[in-house]
Amino acid sequence: MIPDHAQPRLAGGVRLEIDAITGKGVLLFPEGILELNETAQDIITRCDGLTLREIVLGLAQEYDADLEILGVDVRETLADLERRKLVEFA
Amino acid sequence: MTAPRPYALLAEVTYRCPLHCPYCSNPTGMRSDSELTTDEWRRVIREAAGLGVLQIGFSGGEPLMREDLADLVQGARKARLYTNLITSGIGLDENRARVLRDAGLDSVQLSFQSDHIDLADEIAGAHAHQRKLDAAAIVRAAGISLSLNFVIHRRNIDRLPQIIELTETLSAGRVELANVQFYGWAFLNRAALLPTRKQIARAREVATAAKTRLAGKIDIFYVLPDYYETRPKPCLNGWGQRYLTVNSIGDALPCPTASSAIPDLRFENVRQRSLDWIWRESESFNRFRGTAWMPEPCRSCPQKEIDFGGCRCQAALLTGNAANTDPVCTLSPNRVRVDAVLRDLDRSSGQTSEWTPRVNPKKDAVRPNA
Repeated sequence: MIPDHAQPRLAGGVRLEIDAITGKGVLLFPEGILELNETAQDIITRCDGLTLREIVLGLAQEYDADLEILGVDVRETLADLERRKLVEFA
Repeated sequence: MTAPRPYALLAEVTYRCPLHCPYCSNPTGMRSDSELTTDEWRRVIREAAGLGVLQIGFSGGEPLMREDLADLVQGARKARLYTNLITSGIGLDENRARVLRDAGLDSVQLSFQSDHIDLADEIAGAHAHQRKLDAAAIVRAAGISLSLNFVIHRRNIDRLPQIIELTETLSAGRVELANVQFYGWAFLNRAALLPTRKQIARAREVATAAKTRLAGKIDIFYVLPDYYETRPKPCLNGWGQRYLTVNSIGDALPCPTASSAIPDLRFENVRQRSLDWIWRESESFNRFRGTAWMPEPCRSCPQKEIDFGGCRCQAALLTGNAANTDPVCTLSPNRVRVDAVLRDLDRSSGQTSEWTPRVNPKKDAVRPNA
């Protein structure tokens, strides 16, 4: 499990952009494009030095969501992105 | 028909190259017209972004031969595109890498010919291998994302284990082990390049084992030669669907090899037309868009939305008609042509034959902006 104090960040060579055609967030990387759902985009936007715990707290506040359920969601999303080598942890 | 939005532009900014690889996919009869200027490329890049393009690959020839490459990268970043440099590494020193990085270059795909310097230099027709090793280190030191590309063919396929070892040494995150496909110079040199069935079987085992062993460390993409497949590749994800290419003289192409493989298709030039018009309206981009153009066996095939009938260039080169089903498909009446090539190879038991090294366009007329 990804620990609370881990600081997720985009892996080298990966960039977040907003697709002008759809208005959605996309991750761009060598030979690839990943269209993000809203949750993933919200998480990745916060991957700028915050810890996992801080990201979950911020999102819970913004959406008035259950901390535990949200924590599971965020971990799952980040673990999936890590498997794809789009996110790494400091 | 309504055009979808494209995702990626391949910018073949020059056909000049210091290497002479016999499998180059560049056209064999390259026109030596003047290359697009810096400003013309900037406009093409803006127009591509306007169409929805999110990624640009700077390719060639050797894109580093363009002294204005950093300006083009900067133009692409200004248009918010992801920028990838597809290069032999020749011409990349520390300073150039820094300038490109500062211009916003996101990633570099560096090509190698083999793991062993003698064979690699023989294939490249130049003393290139050591400079490529240096280039890999320079890219990493500049903090730019690095991936590697090896074109695999009869002369280097047996060295796949050593080639994979080299990719580990160079600590790249991604490597393409791409068997040569037969377009351009490679089509001309097919008899010398096509691996034997035995070689292919062995290489597949090596690649599969390496994929498992290096999972999570290096992403390995192993690509079979189409001739050994039984179903065609979903070439370009469909003609005029996601990709477009603009070549050094400004011809806009649905596919980089189409200009040489499909001689009866007339391509528009970005000097005469906007990219938007070419993408949506031109005959060349609409000719094989969708499924209405398909002959049998594609027309009634349940796979037609999966492989899109395969590769138009392959159909043109092997059957003389780009509108035929890709003949690598075993359902194609023309599969016999592919089988004949493989049978000839089996009979010759893969003896080495000579290849013709790639040569540059005769005249190099470049007019970058002052």
